[in-house]
Amino acid sequence: MTSTLEREITRHIVDEYLPDTTAEELTADYDLIATGVVTSLQLLRLIGWLGDRYDIPFGDLEISPNDFRSVAVIANLVSRHQPAKSPEPDARPSPVHDMSGGS
Amino acid sequence: MSYADLATLARRAGAELAAGDSPAACPLALVAVKSTASLAVILACLAARRPLLLLSPELGEEALAALARRANVRAVLTVSDTWFERGPLLPAEAPEGLPDDTALILTTSGSTGLPKLVPVSGQAIDSFAQWAGAQFALDAGTRVLNYAPLNFDLCLLDIWATLRHGGCVVPVAADRAVDGTYLRRLLRDTEPQVIQAVPLLFRLLTEATDAEASEAPFESVRDLILTGDHTPQAVRARLPRAFPEARLHNIYGCTETNDSMLHTFMPEEAAEAGTLPLGRPLPGVAIRLLDGDREVPGAGTGELIVSTPFQATGYLADDRSPERFERHGDRAWYRTGDLVERDAAGQLRLLGRTDFQVKVRGVRVGLEEVERVLNAHEGVAEAAVIALPDDEASKVLHAFVRPVVGAGLTALRLRAHCAAHLSRLAIPSRFHLVDDPLPVGPTGKTDRRRLEEKLTTT
Repeated sequence: MTSTLEREITRHIVDEYLPDTTAEELTADYDLIATGVVTSLQLLRLIGWLGDRYDIPFGDLEISPNDFRSVAVIANLVSRHQPAKSPEPDARPSPVHDMSGGS
Repeated sequence: MSYADLATLARRAGAELAAGDSPAACPLALVAVKSTASLAVILACLAARRPLLLLSPELGEEALAALARRANVRAVLTVSDTWFERGPLLPAEAPEGLPDDTALILTTSGSTGLPKLVPVSGQAIDSFAQWAGAQFALDAGTRVLNYAPLNFDLCLLDIWATLRHGGCVVPVAADRAVDGTYLRRLLRDTEPQVIQAVPLLFRLLTEATDAEASEAPFESVRDLILTGDHTPQAVRARLPRAFPEARLHNIYGCTETNDSMLHTFMPEEAAEAGTLPLGRPLPGVAIRLLDGDREVPGAGTGELIVSTPFQATGYLADDRSPERFERHGDRAWYRTGDLVERDAAGQLRLLGRTDFQVKVRGVRVGLEEVERVLNAHEGVAEAAVIALPDDEASKVLHAFVRPVVGAGLTALRLRAHCAAHLSRLAIPSRFHLVDDPLPVGPTGKTDRRRLEEKLTTT
């Protein structure tokens, strides 16, 4: 379960923020914040995508950049705050996430 | 070739140049292909006190014509197989503002726009040759390698100071200047005692294959002069082994002022991380630091302003002169465009070009510092960083990195390395790992414009 989540988040981060890297290279503990993979502006976008994709009410949560430090940390945060009734994410139709594009 | 042979050729060139032409103050131009005929022409013009514009053979036809027009040249001389040819005589007058005593007119090597014309006086060349002769003990027994193209300011030392003191110039053939095997053989065959060159030469000489690396060091060299750019630490670190008998020097200068500062360093310092200090001003050289319009009297950071006995006092026929040249006190000064830092002990360090300082999300980042950090990674053979405009961040940094073969380098490893040594905003957004050497311009510096084109045209 967690590893599916991690895989999906990894894929998204590589696709959106690391065109020079493959998903296999990005390990779950790689520090995304300190290495500038996700800048402060991009962090807002990432949070937007996570909120939509996994139904997380980030507006109600106390979060800091530290909660998005790595794929493992993000996956952990997501799995703790996903609505209990939610079906497994993979079964849902994937939302068109054009809002995380370059707008 | 003997001095007698060279003198004969120079006399012959002088006679031909005087034929049918009144030796006015009107300059001639030479497409400065590295050849005996070119040397003869230059010596003939120096002897006749005829200003001579030295043009790079790399210039396109249009740029060449534009520069010749700007300098009001009487004729353009081109080198043929064995001798030279004079183009048609033009009805020209001496260009306005050409200083008396102009001997050579050099050009700047900026990669944008038409190069600027830099008149160098006979007095400047004399003073320079005197300094160089004393500093590097040039005499009739000295062989000096000439790596730079003939139209470069570096030739004032390699060629003109050497000939002035009766030494022997060992020219590197222009078309083999990036051939490491040829360069190593040339050094073994000719055993020069003095080498001055941009970092590229030393990289080529020391970046050998395993078989070549076990070769004997170059023991003939007693003075090794780095100039033109920061020498990457990895290259510097290999110098003491490759040149065990050499005093190591770093020279700071530019075409407008010629050499300005000298730093002589020990083998241990060659391997040190960071950058070499600029060293001490040469005799007769004065420096200032300017932060905007404010003089920086002591420790601090600012643009380096230089006044040397070897300098030009302005560009020829160019409205860009006032931006760069100024009078202050009783001296002429040149604004170098280089950002330097002076510490409490008075030691100066080059931070980079003021042009290469960019703002990423409002924070000042020096592209050259990012390059130095990348180059310091053991898996990096060479690296360059450019900034492209970006709507959000104002600039986005792209790093081009050629990894050492077999280093297993990835963009993520480089990121982590940068994160350990740079502020977060200075970490490049994109890493482009490439197999081929990065493109270099005529001065041996990385050609950033070609890298930019790679990104913007695809």
